Amino acid sequence: MSELRFEGVSVTHGWGRRAVRAVESVDLVVPSGTVLGLVGESGSGKSTLARAAVGLLPLSAGRITLDGDPLVGRAGHASRRDLQMVFQDPYSSLDPRMTVGESVSEALRRGTVRGAQARRAEVARLLELVDLDPGRMDALPEELSGGQRQRVALARALAAQPRTVLADEITSALDVSVQARVLNLVRDLNRQLGLGMLFISHNLAVVRYVSDLVAVMYAGRIVEQGPAEQVFGFPRHPYTRTLLDAVPGRGELADAVPVVALSEPVDPHDPPTGCRFHPSCPVGPLLRPERTECLTRDPLEVVWQREHRAACHFSAPAVPASQEGLHR
Amino acid sequence: MATTRRARWTRALRTPVGLAASGFLAVVVLLVVLAPLVWGERAEVVDTGNLLQGSSAAHLFGTDSLGRDIGYRVLVATRLSVGMALLATVIGVGTGLLVGAAPVVLGRRTGRLVTGAVNVAVAFPALLLALFFATIFGVGARGAVLAVGLATAPSFARLTQTMVASVADRDFVSAARIAGVSRIRLLVRHVLPNIAEPLVVNATIGAGGALLAFSGLSFLGLGVQAPAYDWGRLLEEGLGRVYIHPEAAVAPAVALVVVGLAFNLVGETIAKGMSPRATVGRTAGAPHPPGPRTATGPRRLEPAGSTLLEVEDLHVAFPFAGGWATPVRGVSLAIRPGESVGMLGESGSGKSLTALAIARLLEAPASVRARRLTFQGTDLLTADPRTERELLGASFGMVFQDPMTSFNPTRPVGRQLAEVSQQHQGLTRGAAWARAVDRLREVRVPSAARRARQYPHEFSGGMLQRAMIGMGLMGAPALIVADEPTTALDTTVQREVLALLARIRAEEGLALLLISHDVTVVRDVCDRVLVMYAGRIVEELPTDRLGEARHPYTRALLDAVPDLETSRDRPLAVVPGRPVSPDALPAGCAFAARCPLATERCRTDDPVLADAGPGQRVACWQTGENLGLPAFPAATSRAATP
Repeated sequence: MSELRFEGVSVTHGWGRRAVRAVESVDLVVPSGTVLGLVGESGSGKSTLARAAVGLLPLSAGRITLDGDPLVGRAGHASRRDLQMVFQDPYSSLDPRMTVGESVSEALRRGTVRGAQARRAEVARLLELVDLDPGRMDALPEELSGGQRQRVALARALAAQPRTVLADEITSALDVSVQARVLNLVRDLNRQLGLGMLFISHNLAVVRYVSDLVAVMYAGRIVEQGPAEQVFGFPRHPYTRTLLDAVPGRGELADAVPVVALSEPVDPHDPPTGCRFHPSCPVGPLLRPERTECLTRDPLEVVWQREHRAACHFSAPAVPASQEGLHR
Repeated sequence: MATTRRARWTRALRTPVGLAASGFLAVVVLLVVLAPLVWGERAEVVDTGNLLQGSSAAHLFGTDSLGRDIGYRVLVATRLSVGMALLATVIGVGTGLLVGAAPVVLGRRTGRLVTGAVNVAVAFPALLLALFFATIFGVGARGAVLAVGLATAPSFARLTQTMVASVADRDFVSAARIAGVSRIRLLVRHVLPNIAEPLVVNATIGAGGALLAFSGLSFLGLGVQAPAYDWGRLLEEGLGRVYIHPEAAVAPAVALVVVGLAFNLVGETIAKGMSPRATVGRTAGAPHPPGPRTATGPRRLEPAGSTLLEVEDLHVAFPFAGGWATPVRGVSLAIRPGESVGMLGESGSGKSLTALAIARLLEAPASVRARRLTFQGTDLLTADPRTERELLGASFGMVFQDPMTSFNPTRPVGRQLAEVSQQHQGLTRGAAWARAVDRLREVRVPSAARRARQYPHEFSGGMLQRAMIGMGLMGAPALIVADEPTTALDTTVQREVLALLARIRAEEGLALLLISHDVTVVRDVCDRVLVMYAGRIVEELPTDRLGEARHPYTRALLDAVPDLETSRDRPLAVVPGRPVSPDALPAGCAFAARCPLATERCRTDDPVLADAGPGQRVACWQTGENLGLPAFPAATSRAATP
């Protein structure tokens, strides 16, 4: 069992008046053995949340627990190793001066594998697990392709015997044919090892393919979360609908996405009052002036105790995404 | 591993610099060890009959005020001079490394304190510090070594800090930290090896500097005291009569220069040996890269005349390790006015190079050859540079992947747009500015007049990409080439930019060549798709018939991309193996090694692009027979239970 739980997590960059809240009051649960897909545009705080979970960034509020044990703070390395992370860029996530075997072997838990022979055998097993030829153990990263490097990075994460893995945009630097291999691997690891994952990506189709649960992040907050088929099939938050409508290959291209198109991304130094999405919202006060609530009241104050939650005062009833256009 | 490391060192030593360095080093080491033993006594022999003599058969560099042979003294002084320089460098680099790397080990708060202290120390000039320490530690060799060593420490600490900080932010250090690697090990295994290269070079340059510093101190009488002597003292003694017997001063000076040079060369060689990115010795390549074939070039599908851009048998080659690598080999395409063509392929397929070659943006050492390259009826291969620039500047727009790096960060966006019109249409400054604002409005940049005065960093990525497209519209373009224009953008913004391109194309009657790795993007915007693999167009077909793609590679690309309808219960199709490298192309079809349908013929004969239906061309021997077969079996699951 391994449940990764974020409770009221906030992460702040900088101090005093220039402080930016990159992540604000995030509540999120990655249940044991499930893949939770986290989507949102760049700057929405997805990576910040992951980096905070593995202790690379300090929390300014809240706590992150794995099976009830707090991960960040006084807890030592032992429990932190239960959570591993794979990074976006396979070209900077491996030490260029260490062989593949050395990189993976370094992450093995001390005391679990003794002796050079046993370590090599274990590294070989891990490489096999991520579909790499163990004969490449002595290769340097520069001899590998991007997809192979990303699989080495996964093997390194698995070497620590984590209970949950954070995958931060692990396929966005890869070619499409290589991406398919890595996605298949993610699925296999989840289904056959029961590995829990927080899978971060801006690509909705990719997230939909691997995830059981989905959370949507906007301007540092989770605005919608629920089972994948619910969120993709019956999106409730207008931002989620905007995201889904933007997926390439969905209907005619019309250069008339009036509100969202011309609005600037949220300035993290000066976030909008009330609902953070209101300056861009297609169902908000910009087009429907009577909806003043959005300007003043933060929808996050209203907490739902439903399986499928959306942080919107006017979250849509359950209507299939295809019938629910952007322009209502 | 050991062999590659050894090979690297051997290679580094075999370069001219490596050879010179090892030669110099051997001489210096020999002198340091042997000179005092062999000539030590002769250098001390006082000859009162020959005081202050010039060069003679007995004394090549003359004698000093006690009649001692200057030549021998210079040789013997090597040990002291080089020894002091090295010792001081060790002290300086050692202290610098300790202090500079301390923040990694100490953690955030204490680390910041150390950093601050170093910053203060760096503010004092090294010379001032050296004199200060020399006074504290007392005059003499020992004092001088400590003084020079400690005086160079702050700059090394600063250097180390900067480099450590740049490495410590990289993902592999974060990954090691997450894996529970201790801070000390993090420093020793991950950080230091990756900054060692510049550190070694700087340390050897520092050693050269220390050599000079000691000579300076001894010259001023603050360094080595009689009866001991180093090159600085010898230089001082000889300098007094430089107009009568210059050889007395020249001998130690030459020694200083030679050893200083040796230090630097040795540093260069060590750095080269340590770098994992071994430099490939670029020997003079074959005289000509493979060019267009004259006999059996691919046939064009479209008749000439109505075409806007016509490319026939385009080859792009780069010199590579004694030969040529040809990432683009025989691309032929034609674009009609107002047409929208997508070019699909993975990284390394040659699609971007094709675009750059068409835009005439490739320069030496790249070699661009084609049988035909015409734009609006003008032959770009033979046109003089002026005509070419005017034609492309006015009628050709190019949009790159990363808008942030495509603009000059120090000039307002509007000004950069206006420049295009000033250059190519000869508009006045004011008129060009007005057009820039108008074009920004055209690409739907809100409050364009105000925005034009802003700098690139004040734009969001999507807005900047709009401005980039606006820049392409400054002239009266007939063709816009967009190379992955939305890859760096968020999905929502991507959609807007694509929609913008589609609208502008419709309104202004432009032709568009959209280069992308993403099938879905191409499908949304383009009428026709060209699929590239290993520098060739392997398939061409109308977008609405993508479902009937015949080339196994095209089908694999289509199957590998999940969309919102993909079944979550089946694995995605994968292409086994890796793309071929442009410097090692196989004899037959470049895709044969990865192709499930490949036969013997595919491995020996290169297929040519041939008609395969309305508007469709395929370069594959197997398309006809096996159309019904699933191209790629889904990957079998590999993960086992632990």
